[in-house]
Amino acid sequence: MSEINLTLKIWRQPNAEAEGKVETYSVENISTDSSFLEMLDVLNEKLTHEGVDPVAFDHDCREGICGMCGAVVNGVAHGPEKETTLCQLHMRHFKNGDTIVIEPFRSRAFPIYKDLMIDRSAFDRIIQAGGYTNVNTGGTPDANSVRISSQQLELAMDAAACIGCGACVASCPNGSAMLFTSAKVSQLALLPQGQVERKERAQAMVQCMDGEGFGHCTNTKECEAVCPKGISISNIARLNREFLKGIFTGRDD
Amino acid sequence: MWFVRFLTSSIGKKMVMAVTGLCLILFLCVHAAGNVTIFVGSAVFQGYAENLHSHPVIVFIFRVGLLALFLIHIGVGLLLWQEGRKEGKNRYVVNTWVSKNPYAMSTMPYTGLFILFFVLIHVFGFAVAPTHDQMISHVIDDALSNFFYVLLYLAGFAALFIHLSHGFWSMLQTVGINHPRYNTLIARATWVVPGGFLCFFSLIALYLLTTSTY
Amino acid sequence: MELKSNVPEGPLEKKWDNYRFSSKLVNPANRRKFSIIIVGTGLAGGAAAATLAEQGYQVKSFCIQDTPRRAHSIAAQGGINAAKNYQNDGDSIFRLFYDTIKGGDFRSREANVYRLAQVSNEIIDQCVAQGVPFAREYGGTLANRSFGGAQVSRTFYARGQTGQQLLLGAYSALSRQIKAGRVTMYTRREMMDVVVVDGRARGITVRNIITGEIESHAADLVILGTGGYGNVYFLSTNAMASNVTAAVRAYKKGAGFANPCYVQIHPTCIPVHGDFQSKLTLMSESLRNDGRVWVPKKKGETRKAADIPENERDYYLENKYPSFGNLVPRDVASRNAKEKCDEGQGVGPTGLAVYLDFAEAIQRDGADVIFRKYGNLFQMYQKIVNVDPMKEPMMIYPAVHYTMGGLWVDYNLMTTIPGLFAIGECNFSDHGANRLGASALMQGLADGYFVIAACVANYLGTNKFAKVDETNEAFLSSRREVEDRLQKLLKNSTGGSAGKCTVDEIHKELGKLMWDYCGMARNKEGLEHALKELPGIRQKFWDKVYIPGSTKDINQSLERAGRVADFIDFAEIVVRDALARGESCGCHLREESQTEENEALRDDANYSHVAVWEYTGEGSEPKLNIEPLTFENVTPSQRSYK
Repeated sequence: MSEINLTLKIWRQPNAEAEGKVETYSVENISTDSSFLEMLDVLNEKLTHEGVDPVAFDHDCREGICGMCGAVVNGVAHGPEKETTLCQLHMRHFKNGDTIVIEPFRSRAFPIYKDLMIDRSAFDRIIQAGGYTNVNTGGTPDANSVRISSQQLELAMDAAACIGCGACVASCPNGSAMLFTSAKVSQLALLPQGQVERKERAQAMVQCMDGEGFGHCTNTKECEAVCPKGISISNIARLNREFLKGIFTGRDD
Repeated sequence: MWFVRFLTSSIGKKMVMAVTGLCLILFLCVHAAGNVTIFVGSAVFQGYAENLHSHPVIVFIFRVGLLALFLIHIGVGLLLWQEGRKEGKNRYVVNTWVSKNPYAMSTMPYTGLFILFFVLIHVFGFAVAPTHDQMISHVIDDALSNFFYVLLYLAGFAALFIHLSHGFWSMLQTVGINHPRYNTLIARATWVVPGGFLCFFSLIALYLLTTSTY
Repeated sequence: MELKSNVPEGPLEKKWDNYRFSSKLVNPANRRKFSIIIVGTGLAGGAAAATLAEQGYQVKSFCIQDTPRRAHSIAAQGGINAAKNYQNDGDSIFRLFYDTIKGGDFRSREANVYRLAQVSNEIIDQCVAQGVPFAREYGGTLANRSFGGAQVSRTFYARGQTGQQLLLGAYSALSRQIKAGRVTMYTRREMMDVVVVDGRARGITVRNIITGEIESHAADLVILGTGGYGNVYFLSTNAMASNVTAAVRAYKKGAGFANPCYVQIHPTCIPVHGDFQSKLTLMSESLRNDGRVWVPKKKGETRKAADIPENERDYYLENKYPSFGNLVPRDVASRNAKEKCDEGQGVGPTGLAVYLDFAEAIQRDGADVIFRKYGNLFQMYQKIVNVDPMKEPMMIYPAVHYTMGGLWVDYNLMTTIPGLFAIGECNFSDHGANRLGASALMQGLADGYFVIAACVANYLGTNKFAKVDETNEAFLSSRREVEDRLQKLLKNSTGGSAGKCTVDEIHKELGKLMWDYCGMARNKEGLEHALKELPGIRQKFWDKVYIPGSTKDINQSLERAGRVADFIDFAEIVVRDALARGESCGCHLREESQTEENEALRDDANYSHVAVWEYTGEGSEPKLNIEPLTFENVTPSQRSYK
């Protein structure tokens, strides 16, 4: 373990309406074993002692699974480490004297609340549009009644690993939510349980996605490159197929 | 209506781009096949051209079809470009591309527009402007013996190469063709197809530049 | 305080059926006339909201995060138990029941635990129908693994992300009901108070974290699924927002708090490595299936793990517990790790860690097999510690993980406040003094999907409800209390920050006191010391804590301050409970009560009961009430894992 000093340039914006700007702070003696958010904790403790409003940022589990945290670090969502959320990014990946620019995830569909805190409720509405199977509690068949090949299951699990952090949107030049949407559509399309609503699901979720102000997918692969869970854009191709199949062969209109 | 819903959705628009793009690539293949005759000789090429023009209905259908494909591809492309600009990669103080080959994909509209410019010159120069008594093979030979004209052609082919080095893969991805078994093949084809066009058409231009009979 | 467990009549295996048959029901057409508030959207709260909405009730659901998909259930890694007996290895509902009650060291209510085991099978069916991708065998049937403390393979899992996948299943069911308009979702709300009208819980007061607004919400009943209180120790594996505020508010309004001293310390966590640390990270217990736990025999060993020869290693779990070996229950594994470290055999820079070694498993099964099983956990470890467990042994140390204590509930999952229900980790009901691995997810979903609906119907069917809305005096006075309290928190903020301390500084102080004196091993002296220190911390908090900003907008310091204030108040009943329980049981080890082999020694004659704490007013000592535990179907025995 060693300690480093850093210059931080952080987006400060008091509320949704206010103009924001980048403020410069310095932090000293940051342990290289600490996480990025622990580094921000140190900054906030320091700011509090100075009587300055601490930097607001979302975080919760701090073990890379809840999807609450996230910021753009030096232009990259969740920072420079591959398949790593911000809370699991450790300071050993930075050097003494580095300047780090920290900005919120930005997108038209993700308004900023304050500093690095954003509103990602649009993701919830996409799931509400069709990211489920229509089964009520109770009366479901025995879990082993349908066999699923482990290969197929693993593919579904790859897609299901999405944590809904929004890094894909933040990094996409168009602010597209295709990776997020495709992950849920893929999971359910790959499993026998998801077949009943299959033809309507992709259409409904894409329609919602478009309506929320997310952009179209322009195949830049930026989303896949920053995704902390390594969700593959092969899911986007699957969503495209599902959408095509649904819209051309769906029954209702 | 489901078809309107399809066309107005983000995926639908991308699919229109992909399908029209594919048609344009196929047209280029036909175009290239016809151009092979140039290497055989001026007379053979002239014969091919005259034979082609002896079927006015086919030519008419091709022209209208191509024009439509171009207009749709360009129109929808510009619409998507304009929609994408509402967000813009440059919304951050620091902008970093993480993925590979960002150059081709971030310049799609620009290479596209340059190709349009090139196509206009090409079409006006060879298909529209020549009067009926001029032999097409002579017109082409004539034009492509000019060094600067050839340079412009090469630039057009280069733009096409860059455009397709993203576009070809992107087209397949958009229509949902992505499978671990074929992805390596697709990745190779994404260089081979645009590279093939670049080499082949450049070769014609350079061939005509160096072997001009006039 | 009257503690009626309301356990239904009949033999154990018929109780749940009898309960459902004798319960009052609500006609499907009438259900829409009833409104239900559910606080928390984890496995219990999320599942309950979806299920009750499906049945036709009007549900208002509240969560502290920006979306219901992020509740801390998401972080559970290992799996979920069920008595499916898919592996044909001798499992049954009774065995799951028995293991759970024995694992809990005979400090839980038989009827509740049996019901849990009974509904466990339905949970798996339900989740699979929702599209939860549980791991499958090559042939396509569900895969199982064995998990800490169980001798059968009954744990279903989805890689190392079981909690996430189950929560996303509940979240998707909830999303469907939100879309259908039967659930109104309130995100980024912190529950500040429970409102009691005419002796019944009829609503809550919440703070909107974004606008700072204090809101009142009325309903016919309130369900709390607000999780555990592990963060009273500051460092725990809980999420940063996990807190005890909702439960403490309920406690102060008259809900009994049961067994607060039962805090599970999980044996396989990444050791603490600095003062800056904000939380501890758990490594799934499943690692103990293939990893061998050891420490060097020599005290103060300085050699690297690889340089220590086999005969100088102390595989203390395997030696001491030959039949369970590395798979002993969590409390046993934790306590032995602490013992070894206290004896000076600990490893790592702080000496507070033991090795978890995969070398033998890698040699036996091959690196691929081991990596496929644990790859994501290894990567997580490597990210944090910068060491590859495929090459060097992991270092682990116990950390606060789960709290078996919680709001006291009867068989109806209702607290001592009529109309206030508690589900999931928030209640005390099923795990006794120690929870078995992969049982938390089971309990959360059992309560949420299968138990609460019957209880709610019974409550609604047996009572008459006067119309109550947010203009009722009880709501207004609750709002005033909440607002006054927020102002009180901000009172030190005028006059600058000089000479003041931050919320986290006090929280760390509280956590250290609790860990040192009310942690893995407790004794009378230490607990009395802690009890003496607590008022000082409380005083310091109210005199010195500096919170920038106002109550009127996003103020994360203010949110934390409110939670820490409640943790301080709550810590007192944890310590009192630990002091009052003079025996050792499960996770609660009183050093005065041990066998000759340093195992926890229960005292069934004096402590076979649930300890329920009753609030008696600010500044006055809480009152201890007792619900005796009777065992008709099992015979409490001294747990032995040898």
